[in-house]
Amino acid sequence: MENSQPSLTIDDGVLPQAAALPPEEPSLPPGEWIKKNLFSTPFNAVLTVVFGAIALFFIDLFVDFVFSEERRWNGTATNLRLLMTQGYPESQYIRIWVSVGFLAALTGLCSGIWNAGDAVSMKRISTWFMSTGAFGIIAIALSPLDTGGKTTWFIASAVSLAIGLALWYGLGDQKRRSTFVRTPYLIYGAIAAIVASLWVVPYGNYTFSDGVLTNEPDSIVAFTTRWPWLVMAFILIGTYIAGRFAPASAARVFKPILIGLWVLSPLIIVWVILRDPELDWDHVISTDIPMALGFILIGGALLYALSKPGLGEIGKLAGFGLLLFAAFHWLAAFFGWYPMLQKARLSFLFLALFAMAAANFAGDRRTRLQLVFGWGIFMAVLHYFATMINTASTLEFRGDFFLGGYALTLFVSVMTLMLSFPLGVMLALARTSRLPIFRLLSTVYIEAIRGVPLITILFFFSVVLNLFLPNGMSVSETAAVVTGYTLFSAAYLAENVRGGLQSIRRGQFEAADALGLTGSQRTGFIVLPQALRVSIPPLVGQAIATYKETSLVAIVGLNDLTRIANAIIPAQSEFLGVQMENLILISFIYWVGAFSMSKYSQKLERRLGVGER
Amino acid sequence: MSISDATTAVSEELASRDDMIVCTGVDKWYGDFQALKGVTATVKEQEVVVVLGPSGSGKSTWIRCINRLEQHQGGSIVVDGVELTNDVRNIEKIRSEVGMVFQQFNLFPHLTVRDNVTLAPKWVKKQPKDQAEDKAMELLTQMGIPEQAEKYPGQLSGGQQQRVAIARSLAMEPRVMLFDEPTSALDPEMIKEVLDVMKDLARSGMTMIVVTHEMGFAREVADRIIFMESGEIVEVGTPEHFFTNPTEDRTKLFLSQIL
Repeated sequence: MENSQPSLTIDDGVLPQAAALPPEEPSLPPGEWIKKNLFSTPFNAVLTVVFGAIALFFIDLFVDFVFSEERRWNGTATNLRLLMTQGYPESQYIRIWVSVGFLAALTGLCSGIWNAGDAVSMKRISTWFMSTGAFGIIAIALSPLDTGGKTTWFIASAVSLAIGLALWYGLGDQKRRSTFVRTPYLIYGAIAAIVASLWVVPYGNYTFSDGVLTNEPDSIVAFTTRWPWLVMAFILIGTYIAGRFAPASAARVFKPILIGLWVLSPLIIVWVILRDPELDWDHVISTDIPMALGFILIGGALLYALSKPGLGEIGKLAGFGLLLFAAFHWLAAFFGWYPMLQKARLSFLFLALFAMAAANFAGDRRTRLQLVFGWGIFMAVLHYFATMINTASTLEFRGDFFLGGYALTLFVSVMTLMLSFPLGVMLALARTSRLPIFRLLSTVYIEAIRGVPLITILFFFSVVLNLFLPNGMSVSETAAVVTGYTLFSAAYLAENVRGGLQSIRRGQFEAADALGLTGSQRTGFIVLPQALRVSIPPLVGQAIATYKETSLVAIVGLNDLTRIANAIIPAQSEFLGVQMENLILISFIYWVGAFSMSKYSQKLERRLGVGER
Repeated sequence: MSISDATTAVSEELASRDDMIVCTGVDKWYGDFQALKGVTATVKEQEVVVVLGPSGSGKSTWIRCINRLEQHQGGSIVVDGVELTNDVRNIEKIRSEVGMVFQQFNLFPHLTVRDNVTLAPKWVKKQPKDQAEDKAMELLTQMGIPEQAEKYPGQLSGGQQQRVAIARSLAMEPRVMLFDEPTSALDPEMIKEVLDVMKDLARSGMTMIVVTHEMGFAREVADRIIFMESGEIVEVGTPEHFFTNPTEDRTKLFLSQIL
């Protein structure tokens, strides 16, 4: 479970001082290391040879498979876009890139501001290079095949081995151990190198766009791939640098905003990606923007006036009057007396709420302007979202057309996790509640769900959910699947959280009681934080399972990553039967996601463990 | 019940003070086992009462009944004029006036020392953050550990943790402090630092009930000593009376075993 070499990873980026290190034996050179660890006794030598041979045999099979003449990797390469986003219209692709860029900026800023990542010693990095290189050379040398790709990989492996050896022998023993590189530099450096290589290395240009199939094995990748990724890399690294060197005062302000943006990011991205491509720009310019500006400016002026010190009862009355006015509009809409944009009704309601809070901001100019700026930002966000979703087509998820491929996989897993986590925590609390009715309901629910296979639940919801809804209302296949999956996942999360709840010692409850905390304060401040911390390993296990098991939605007919790889690409007339290549690629994609989650959870456990030590 | 009450030996001044805690015939059962048998005792304002007795004698059970960590099944407990009943408001009122320090410290391991101390004032007493934090630093300074404010409980020694626990209780500005064997889980070299803090607290006029095995503390600090055995109060008296001239045989036996 724990890192194999914990002594080499340092928590929180605090580098140990060389003087504080215990005296350590000098590291063995690679040859000596092999002798000591692999061939120390005749018996160990036999074991090494036997198991090494078995491992090499399987590796060899895999290499032969990958580099075989029969593999048609161009089928996979041509369909990368299909695998990622299925039929998302090419003309609107900028939105996908805007979303990826948004996430890249968030990631960069956060890792910079929080100074994320560990430090890795030079010694370890050089062993990575050496072992990768040696492994590659052996695996390729043993393969009897003779194709062009093999030579390239062989050279790459040799270069890796050479870099590793150079690092090993180039730095003195003491230096190698005490030189640390921070993981963000490694990761961002690797990303920069890969993106730069898109511009020089002839990976081949395979695209299918506007009905034209391009197949140029010896050219560099398509223009539409090179450019966006270059921009993304710049955003990622630029925001990292910005965050890293931001002054502490700015960092303090940005931290809560960034956390909020992470929480909102799935919704923001869904809106950006799914809103109607045919946005009515005339309406936006003639109505939406003026209305937003009007509310921001006139509302702001009103709030500034209402926060005048010493206004007394008049301010309260004005706020109350506004509230009545807003409430009247909601009534009017309910009974259909006269039409008004929902957005305006919402804005009036919030204006009333802000006005009622205005007395709290009575004071000097700065305090009053805080309220006005807060109002302006709030209105801008509200009107942005309202405009984005205030079009007919975005109210339903167009699962069969818009969303597919890896985007659908991510959508289903992220939505499921976001919705099932609070539900699961509530179920766990209900199951440990003192009130028998909560306990009974929660137990029945959890045991019922846990007794049914996931695939049954998915079928059930995709067919039955629409029958339960009131007349005139329907949900798309995707929404139905997310609903079913959320209910399923919540039951398992609840059991994980319950395990954590039961591990809290009685003394913690007593201490909270003795201090006079109420039941909900005790749960929220004392019990749940500790219980969730204990549950991190099983919760992340559940998250990983959720992410991988989204592949089951293929069975109910959604075009997720697995289904496209397994059924759709092999049916294309150009790439009939190209299936195994796709499956290898998507295995790698799934693995990257699951492995990062598992690594991250290990880190989280270590960091949160501070309180337990 | 034969209690040789030596209250007469206690000063007139103490007897004239207001009652802080009045327990009358308190009964408590665990299943068929009766843990408290008609415990009757009165604690005056600003009085320090030390409760002694062999393990399993009901000392801890009794003080845990006073802030409703255990529910008594017979008799009555009145704290500062409020009777402890099933009424939640009474329980909340009493808990906000009665602080408790546990044998196992029971600090919140996921919060820093500062947050441990400020949590209840902020959320129960609705104090502003700044005020609560100033008060916390003042208390931690009083406990001699202001430099530990940003650490987590797990990073402190046992003695430091117990002092944080005392600060956490005092932050609620209680009128009574209950100590449930506060030094029993500590290494010998740390007992003194906790006892010193408790002595200071006693001198400052806090009403205290202390369950302990520290005879030196009892002799030096207590206004009265209550000796319990098998769920009953056997003998009550001043430290002088208790250690030099106990009247009950059971008390004599206990003292002969420990001294």
